[in-house]
Amino acid sequence: MTTTVAATGSVVGFEQVTKTYGDVRAVDGLTLALHPGETVALLGPNGAGKSTTLDLLLGLKHADSGSVRVFGTSPREAIVAGRVGAMLQSGGLMEEVTVAELVGLACHLHPKPHKVTDVLARAGISGIADRKVNKLSGGQAQRVRFALATAGASDLIVLDEPTTGMDVSARQAFWATMREQADQGRTVLFATHYLEEADAIADRVLVLHRGRLLADGTAAEIKAKAGARRVSFELEGSIDDAPLRALPFLTSIDISGQTVRMQTSDADATVHALYGLGVYPRNLEVAGLGLEQAFVAITEAEEAKQS
Amino acid sequence: MNSLIKLELTRALRNRKFLFFSVIYPSALFLLISSTNGSTAKVPGSGLTLPTYMMVSMASFGALTAVLMGNSERIAKERENGWVRQLRLTTLPGRGYVLAKTASAAVVSLPSIVVVFVVAAALKDVRLDAWQWLALTGAIWAGSLVFAALGVAIGYLATGDAVRPITMITYFGLSILGGLWWPSAVFPAWLQDIAKWLPTHAYSALGQAIEQSQAPHAKDIAILVVFFALFAGGAAWLYRKDTLKA
Repeated sequence: MTTTVAATGSVVGFEQVTKTYGDVRAVDGLTLALHPGETVALLGPNGAGKSTTLDLLLGLKHADSGSVRVFGTSPREAIVAGRVGAMLQSGGLMEEVTVAELVGLACHLHPKPHKVTDVLARAGISGIADRKVNKLSGGQAQRVRFALATAGASDLIVLDEPTTGMDVSARQAFWATMREQADQGRTVLFATHYLEEADAIADRVLVLHRGRLLADGTAAEIKAKAGARRVSFELEGSIDDAPLRALPFLTSIDISGQTVRMQTSDADATVHALYGLGVYPRNLEVAGLGLEQAFVAITEAEEAKQS
Repeated sequence: MNSLIKLELTRALRNRKFLFFSVIYPSALFLLISSTNGSTAKVPGSGLTLPTYMMVSMASFGALTAVLMGNSERIAKERENGWVRQLRLTTLPGRGYVLAKTASAAVVSLPSIVVVFVVAAALKDVRLDAWQWLALTGAIWAGSLVFAALGVAIGYLATGDAVRPITMITYFGLSILGGLWWPSAVFPAWLQDIAKWLPTHAYSALGQAIEQSQAPHAKDIAILVVFFALFAGGAAWLYRKDTLKA
């Protein structure tokens, strides 16, 4: 028993977890561990298996094979012990009751509850405490869901695409609140398909694609791995490609006619070296890779490594 | 779980439409139907006056409305919008949700029964012994559990647009064919043969037996027990299926 506890001293432990729906492997042999105090982003495009992973973690779904442990116990046991607070993407709310009544219920059901007024204030919904739940805007409803997730002193907070439906300022306010939770030593796991969000908030980013863990590292590492910038320009005359291919930090290059397109993990250094070649690039553009392309880049890199 | 029951109750009591249909409507219908004939006319085969007979029918109808209408639609809706999932992330035990719904429906069904009794006694001179009033309240209240289970089963069976028509057909079908709106004695013989096997018929027969100063018939109790087992078993099975699907 002691070895199990030591091995799962982690907050969350997935061991070779697989979940299929018909022919689709939503989660495919996933192994991962979260450690106390981390803020972790689960990043992936739609259909990558993020929601299924969170559902498995919360015990809403059961794995076909493999094991899911939360604080060394089953997900349900961890929830009953009051160690997990969660906000679901599809988390409906009870209608025709007020915000304060609903949050009061969540506090009442939590073994280690916070005061209702504190929870409302922290979620920024004190002003709408008396409003009926079915009269809320999308962003307000998200804040109520957040209040339900933080109704008590849980050690792990799980958020599935929490900023959906929020405008930019609401988003920033939301993440400021979230950071407070993390600063109190809580482990935070959130799913998102915004690379910027993962970049700005998370200590650690897990990249999920087709149910498999593609990458696990800091946001900077992930971006580097994905070849985070795309540089394109045109050159006149005949192009001598050897010095171009030797540019530093290049992850790929494509020359067609007068147009050169390349991906680089450090655009500043690459462009600097480009000018150092004594050429005069025209229509120079430097752009970030979309997440979708970043995934393609990582996937290709992984496949190249395997073959 | 008490906190959820309390909140469910608060909500039900705030819902005017629901209160109208479960509390006011049965009393109004009682007045309407019991006034069609003189209040001394006897319902064939029962020895009871029409108001006395219809009082039990309408109290049963009100309780049926309270436990069936509220729950089936709400459960279906809350399953769809994800509230049921959200509750599964709390310490509330899995069955807590259904139990809270049933408990709050049971509380709301009590006024449905009592208001019909008060109206019948005050405006239609229905007179019974004290024990009969108490036994009637108890029997109709306890019997409503059968239909509470049916409401839960429908809530887990259907979703979205389908749940309302299914509830309505079940509700009106059981009410009318079971003889809650008109004594089934006025039905043609072939319809009476069907009606006497319906749970709503057995349900109102419980109360009518008490009014006749008899113990409820064993056959009616047996019918109710069988339907309760059927509805509760179905609800439990559908609930488990829904939970696995999540």
